Amino acid sequence: MKKEDTVKLISAEGFEFIIDKKAAMVSQTIRNMLTSPGSFSETEHGRVSFPEISTTILEKICQYFHWSLQYASGKETEFHIEPELTLELMMAANYLHT
Amino acid sequence: MGGVCSRKREQQVNEESINRGLSVRYFKSGSSKWLGSSILRAPSDIKLRNGKCPSLMELCIYNICEDMDQYKTLSMLPRDINQQIINELIRSQRLTELTLEAFRDCDLQDLDFGEYPGFGDSWMDVVASQEASLLSLDISGSDVTDSGLMNLKDCKNLQALNLNYCDQISDHGLECIRYHSNLTTLSFRRNNCFTAKGMSALSGLVNLSKLDLERCPGIHGGLVYLKGLSKLESLNINCCNCITDADMKPLAGITSLKELQISSSKVTDYGVTFLKALNKLTLLNMEGCPVTAACLESLSALTTLLYLNLSRCNLTDDGCEEFSRLQTLKVLNLGFNEISDAILVHLKGLKKLESLNLDSCRIGDEELYNLSGLQHLKCLELSDTEVGSNGLHHLSGLTNLESLNLSFTVVTDAGLKKLSGLSFLKSLNLDARQITDAGLAALTSLTGLTHLDLFCARITDSGTNYLRSFKNLRSLEVCGGGLTDAGVKNIKDLSSLTMLNLSQNHHLTDRTLELISGLTDLVSLNVSSSRITAGGLNHLKPLKNLRSLTLESCKLNASDIKKLQASDLPNLVSFRPE
Repeated sequence: MKKEDTVKLISAEGFEFIIDKKAAMVSQTIRNMLTSPGSFSETEHGRVSFPEISTTILEKICQYFHWSLQYASGKETEFHIEPELTLELMMAANYLHT
Repeated sequence: MGGVCSRKREQQVNEESINRGLSVRYFKSGSSKWLGSSILRAPSDIKLRNGKCPSLMELCIYNICEDMDQYKTLSMLPRDINQQIINELIRSQRLTELTLEAFRDCDLQDLDFGEYPGFGDSWMDVVASQEASLLSLDISGSDVTDSGLMNLKDCKNLQALNLNYCDQISDHGLECIRYHSNLTTLSFRRNNCFTAKGMSALSGLVNLSKLDLERCPGIHGGLVYLKGLSKLESLNINCCNCITDADMKPLAGITSLKELQISSSKVTDYGVTFLKALNKLTLLNMEGCPVTAACLESLSALTTLLYLNLSRCNLTDDGCEEFSRLQTLKVLNLGFNEISDAILVHLKGLKKLESLNLDSCRIGDEELYNLSGLQHLKCLELSDTEVGSNGLHHLSGLTNLESLNLSFTVVTDAGLKKLSGLSFLKSLNLDARQITDAGLAALTSLTGLTHLDLFCARITDSGTNYLRSFKNLRSLEVCGGGLTDAGVKNIKDLSSLTMLNLSQNHHLTDRTLELISGLTDLVSLNVSSSRITAGGLNHLKPLKNLRSLTLESCKLNASDIKKLQASDLPNLVSFRPE
């Protein structure tokens, strides 16, 4: 995969997730950041920091992005969410418009 | 649906019908709390929602709803998230008094507990803990009493409150909203305990714009307290049979009124004279009031009037010339009056009319030409009149017609070809015995039809060939007794059908159910009085949207349908035999 097709998502602890740009754009918030010209430095560097999202949650979110793309292509599986993550994940989903 | 007579399903007062074409939203029209749970609410499985990928938010909300008993409080979540969680819990009927506790002090804005099973006084404490955040509350159909309602005294910002069918709330309970001057909408339908004394609590609700007191039989003398409500735009006191002419007097001062509904009251022509001052009034519903055409003089002062319902009044031809002055009218309902076609000449000039109801009036063919210039007419109701084929000639130029009811008229097959140019027609009722296949043959150009009622028309298998032209049909009734399974072959491809009534065709067998098993949009199906057996029910399994199934007088019993409901038709809420 070419570098410009990926994006780097960085968690509160500084952990980096490099994922397909298309997957990341499942999030309306990330899509806006990556597509609005000039207004975000993220556009150029292909990296977005989330100082309020922990590594565990961000990983779960990345899993959701990929699951969502599969779902859209007809592979309708279950997406499991651990009960202890639900509240925190929901806050993040709210922020990411996902 | 069903029964021997399919028509006149909405004989009771129904304000929606006079509002047709206008997007006014009213409160729920009837209580369903007695039908048991999960009647109105959709199944809870979020993943079933028409194949669309659920958002992460939806999945999380679904998860929380699943193990709601794990959460003591949700007050750490932002308000908008909590609002979504509680909405989902209410929608899926998984909220209990215990789990509601988690929403204490969550600053929720909208709580819609309308018809919620089990809701009562003990739930009101958590409702009230939302305090100033609470903007709208619906507890209609609940067992809340006066003491439960008292909790709301600190919810000062309430804008909308629905207390319909709360028959344990009285004058005393309403005292607690006396100072809730932010209220704009208050609904308090069908309450026997509410009297004029209780209405005094409304006198300070200066922002009230919509007040609904339908079926409150004790409010006579109480409208005087509404006098100072200068923002009141809509007042519904339908079916309050205590209301008399004296109650109209205080209304004269409320010139902000745009909609007034006083159907089935005791108001006479004299009472209507007080309404002359309502110079913003657009809608007036006087269905079933003892008024005569003499009230038209008062009404002609209302220069903004668009909707007028005078059905089931005491109108005769005498004085009907005054109709010609009601030039602004768009919707006029004169059904079930002792009027004849001599009045049609007075309607001739009402060029803005879009809907005219003459149901069961003495209307024949001769004077119908007076309607031929009403080019904006979209809806014309001539059911139970003496209109025949000659009269249809005068309707053939009403090319904007979308709905035409000719049931129980003397119209014959020969006349129907005059309707063939009405290309905007969506709904056509030809429920009359003398209509046959030949009549249907003349209508195949009406390809926009979505509703076709041929209830007792004598349609046979060969006539069903013509039904194939009506690909957009959503509802169809063919119950004249002449169909066999062979005719149903022509119905099986009408894939937009949501309502199908084939009852009283005694020759239909299980093969019919097999044929229509591809009509997966069906919501309502009636094949009563046929040879259908319990074995045929298997063919209905693909009809997942089916909510109503009627198979009276067939070779099966209720337990057969119940079995099918449990295994394959989760949405089925009403069935016969039961």
